[in-house]
Amino acid sequence: MTEQRELLPTATGRQTAAALRALLRPRRWLAAAGLLVLTAATAVGLAVAPLLGHVVDLVTSGAPASSITTPVVALAVVAVLSGAATAYGLTLIARLGEGALAELRERFLDRALRLPLGQVERAGSGDLTSRAGNDLNAVASVVRSGLPELARSLLAIGLTIAGLAVLDWRFMLAALLAAPVQLYTVWWYGGRALPLYARQRIAVGAQQQQLLETIGGAPTVRALRRREQHLGRVTARSQDAVDLTMRGVNLVTRFYARLNLAEFIGLSAVLATGFLLVRSGEVTIGAATAAALYFHNLFTPVNIALGLIDDVQAATAALVRIVGVADLPEPVAPPAPRTPADASLHADAVSHAYTADRPVLHEVTIAVPAGQRVALVGASGAGKSTLAGLVAGVHEPTSGSIRVGGVGIGDLDPSGRRAVALITQEVYVFAGTLAEDLRLARPDATDAELTAALERVGAAEWAAALPDGLSTVVGEGGHRLTAAQAQQLALARLVLADPAVAVLDEATAEAGSAGARVLEASVAAALHGRTGLLVAHRLTQAALADRVVVLDAGRIVESGSHDELREAPDGRYAELWRAWSGRREQDA
Amino acid sequence: MPQLTGGRVLREALRGQAGRITGSALLSTGHQAGEAMVPVVIGMVVDRAVGTGSSSELLLWLAVLGAVFLTLSFSFRFGARLGERAAEQAGHLLRVRLTDRVLDRRGGADTGRLPGALASVATSDAARVGMIALVLPLGVAGILGLVVGAVALLRVSLPLGLLVLFGTPLMMGLAHVLGRPLQRRSEVEQDRIAHTAGLAADMVGGLRVLKGIGAERAAAERYRLSSRAALTATVHAARAKSWHDGTLLAVNGLFLAVVALVGGRLAADGTISIGALIAAVGMAQYLIGPLSMLVWVNGELAQGRGSAVRIAEVLASAPAVGGDAPLPGPVTGRLAVRGLTHAGLRGLDLDVTAGQLVGLVTADPAHAEALVDLLGREREPDSGTITLDGHDLSTLDPEAVRGALLVAAHDADLFEGTLRDNVVAPAGSNGNGPGLPHQRTSPADTHGLLSAALAASGADEVAATLDGGVDGALAERGRSLSGGQRQRVALARALAADAPVLVLHEPTTAVDAVTELHIVHGVRRLREGRTTIVITTSPALLAAADTVHFVADGALTASGTHEQLVREHTGYRATVLA
Repeated sequence: MTEQRELLPTATGRQTAAALRALLRPRRWLAAAGLLVLTAATAVGLAVAPLLGHVVDLVTSGAPASSITTPVVALAVVAVLSGAATAYGLTLIARLGEGALAELRERFLDRALRLPLGQVERAGSGDLTSRAGNDLNAVASVVRSGLPELARSLLAIGLTIAGLAVLDWRFMLAALLAAPVQLYTVWWYGGRALPLYARQRIAVGAQQQQLLETIGGAPTVRALRRREQHLGRVTARSQDAVDLTMRGVNLVTRFYARLNLAEFIGLSAVLATGFLLVRSGEVTIGAATAAALYFHNLFTPVNIALGLIDDVQAATAALVRIVGVADLPEPVAPPAPRTPADASLHADAVSHAYTADRPVLHEVTIAVPAGQRVALVGASGAGKSTLAGLVAGVHEPTSGSIRVGGVGIGDLDPSGRRAVALITQEVYVFAGTLAEDLRLARPDATDAELTAALERVGAAEWAAALPDGLSTVVGEGGHRLTAAQAQQLALARLVLADPAVAVLDEATAEAGSAGARVLEASVAAALHGRTGLLVAHRLTQAALADRVVVLDAGRIVESGSHDELREAPDGRYAELWRAWSGRREQDA
Repeated sequence: MPQLTGGRVLREALRGQAGRITGSALLSTGHQAGEAMVPVVIGMVVDRAVGTGSSSELLLWLAVLGAVFLTLSFSFRFGARLGERAAEQAGHLLRVRLTDRVLDRRGGADTGRLPGALASVATSDAARVGMIALVLPLGVAGILGLVVGAVALLRVSLPLGLLVLFGTPLMMGLAHVLGRPLQRRSEVEQDRIAHTAGLAADMVGGLRVLKGIGAERAAAERYRLSSRAALTATVHAARAKSWHDGTLLAVNGLFLAVVALVGGRLAADGTISIGALIAAVGMAQYLIGPLSMLVWVNGELAQGRGSAVRIAEVLASAPAVGGDAPLPGPVTGRLAVRGLTHAGLRGLDLDVTAGQLVGLVTADPAHAEALVDLLGREREPDSGTITLDGHDLSTLDPEAVRGALLVAAHDADLFEGTLRDNVVAPAGSNGNGPGLPHQRTSPADTHGLLSAALAASGADEVAATLDGGVDGALAERGRSLSGGQRQRVALARALAADAPVLVLHEPTTAVDAVTELHIVHGVRRLREGRTTIVITTSPALLAAADTVHFVADGALTASGTHEQLVREHTGYRATVLA
């Protein structure tokens, strides 16, 4: 069932720039103020070197010791001013960056959640998940720590160069001798670092995954005596990660060695310039000292700025993937949304193929009167889950139509109450409190309504026994629920969402057979008063349905009540039922 | 063997990297000394060359500057590499050692520990202990850098040197005290931020579930609220951090002013030279570097020690089961349980005739789990014995027992790799223990076993859906397959192991009724003549068994065929046909 991957879109450079402008436009005054304050802070800080130079000049000119006091007081004032201005400026920049980031992530998620499921599945589930996880984090970390540092470093670099020019334009020229080496180094490093780090991240991820698999599966590994094999896999993947990390370290150390060379060239040039200019009497020793100190002070901001370049590149790569989803056009709403007349369900001559040459369903017609329950039975691959997905509107059928209360699935009002809900065997507990999880289905539900829903599906007892009741944190990192509890939670959500039609796709499969019996009671309670379409593994579920439909290779082969089908001679269902209920076949 | 402590884990890890650590310490010291010398040499250039106008002095001191840069650059480059290699290698060796312990045949390391927590010991904690091999040389270098700076300073001027040497740590302490409340506040807010960071991925992970009940808008709204709360928290945290940084900057600047005041007056008095003044100012800036590095090293050492303790705890976990006697072959497959008491089982007695297909039904699923643990030698029973061909399992080498008696647990994992590799372990990786009663099979046999096992379990249909069939790849833990497909592959794996005794625990819960029937026939045929125990409540499987035992209240309550029991035993009927 492998299909061609069709990744979600990524934004072009122009789209990304437009998205950034749209984020910044409402915050332009904040941006201007932040930049202004930080520039002022950096500029004030640059007074330190000339003030120290002035002290040197006072000393060389033989001024009295008391004359030192004035520049020293100035130094103290500069210290306090630049500290305060830096702090304020960084605060402004953080408000700017964080505000824009929050808006971006909210737009992304809002859009991501409304993507058609078919599109998400064609892209592979990892595509959207890694955008919501890794990519958002990469952008956030650059906005949070990289951007302020980069802004300060760039300002320091720019203003220091300006400061050198103020001392004497020849100092600036001398300092700029370092630039070609630095630019070359960045170009040299950038081309090598990005692919290497991408490989390293993959290797570290693979190592992590292997450890989780081997350690999580330790009982299985022991039972099958595959210890050597797994130890070998862990060792190989860990060694891979180590080797790639070391290649990264080698690259980084070579990067900094090249920057050291640039530092030496620039510093020597500034010192030699100072020497010549002092000898020709054009600048004082103090000015030459200030120039050298200026340049020495550039080492750190230059290293920071250049070191951040690959973070910024990585964040840009992440950003285009986020904007690609956030900027997708809205799905078209039905022109004339309609409300279903009742809770009946009709599938008329529905055929479906995921890929054109492999049809999964052939002209399936099912009518479920309001409030009745139909069980779908058949082997894996018979098309049960596909039919369930089509009815729930996850995919659009290749041909044929599906109607709820006389209204086509596509014409249902998307903003109104959900007409058809789907619960699959995939159990998922959302991170947060139990109440928050339940309120996803009905945001305005009271605590009493939540408890009532849990009670209806038989989950009230364990829910009440949780450490903090409804406020217990569940899901990733919280209290762990069993598969059966998680599935009851899903059924409680169904009760709260209160759809007219419920489609249950093997909703009891993951719980094991003992848990399945408990869940069957929960399912029955949750379905009460609804039209139900059930994909059933356990035939006890089929026995309780109003009608049983047996699918084989995408076609309906039998249809009728449990009793009718059970009695049919040579019927598929009859054979299954005999095996299920443990009556040996006559000849056995 | 002395008790394994965190300290010992740490010492062993470092001893293994002693050469690299020493080399890195020497080179890092060279780097620190070089960094310290740069402002000193700048002072010398101003003093000896710019001040005097002597070209030869200029060339001389620029050459010295070049030598200093060459030293610091090369010693950083190779010192960092040695340190990183030591850290990575030490972490790697610990990781492998931890995995080895977890997979040990006697078990015990994974008892009562969550897999995620154990994996994090093997990644984060191992890396943190390794990190010590990197920071230790830097600590040494930092201290030596301080000493070099101190000596250089004290030689130019005693009072100025003392001021800088004592003033710098004092100033850092002051900045730390001033910034601490801000720092604490920001840490509290970090939690809130981390929560939202995970929320987006969490919601996208549950996308199918959200869409199933039409909760997209509610989810987006909940995310928006959380995102807004996180925004407030991040802005607070950023403000705290900004003022912390600003304070540091201001205190640092004020200290510089004091150094300039004292140094300037001394220079004006003619007590020290201009060069000495510049060097002192430069040094006051430089010393912040090694000092903050020492603070960082200290923090890393504390973390590394904590990690070493966690690693030692895992490595020193008590084995879950004992026994080392070899199992004499060939195994006939006669199993006897006597007085077994463990996790709800109360004096269970049970006999399994060699070569039969036996169904085992427990009214309480927890009792089935207990039996699976005991038969698989994951736990020792509280009391009572299980014997195989008359040998008490508790006295036998667990590896030998598993070779003769394979337990296929309900929640057994699949692994990343091809379907074939999952079902039949690659040659050379299987059965490495001594006293193995089972003969190694030839490749031709292996192939026959593979296809027979695939057919019997219905996993051949799974193979048909994969690109590459039997050689098609499965994702980690088999997640690319559905629950039912995973279960069939795991069953094929258990069958292909061809063990004299096979215990299957609920092997068909996630497969449809059609496939289950197919599997029942397949297992029956393939295991003909060898002992097979199926622990299940599925009527289809039980109907095919030669004998069925029913365990209720922790003891054997009834035995017979499935049909007899269904007819005669109310409790059995309630458990199996509810």
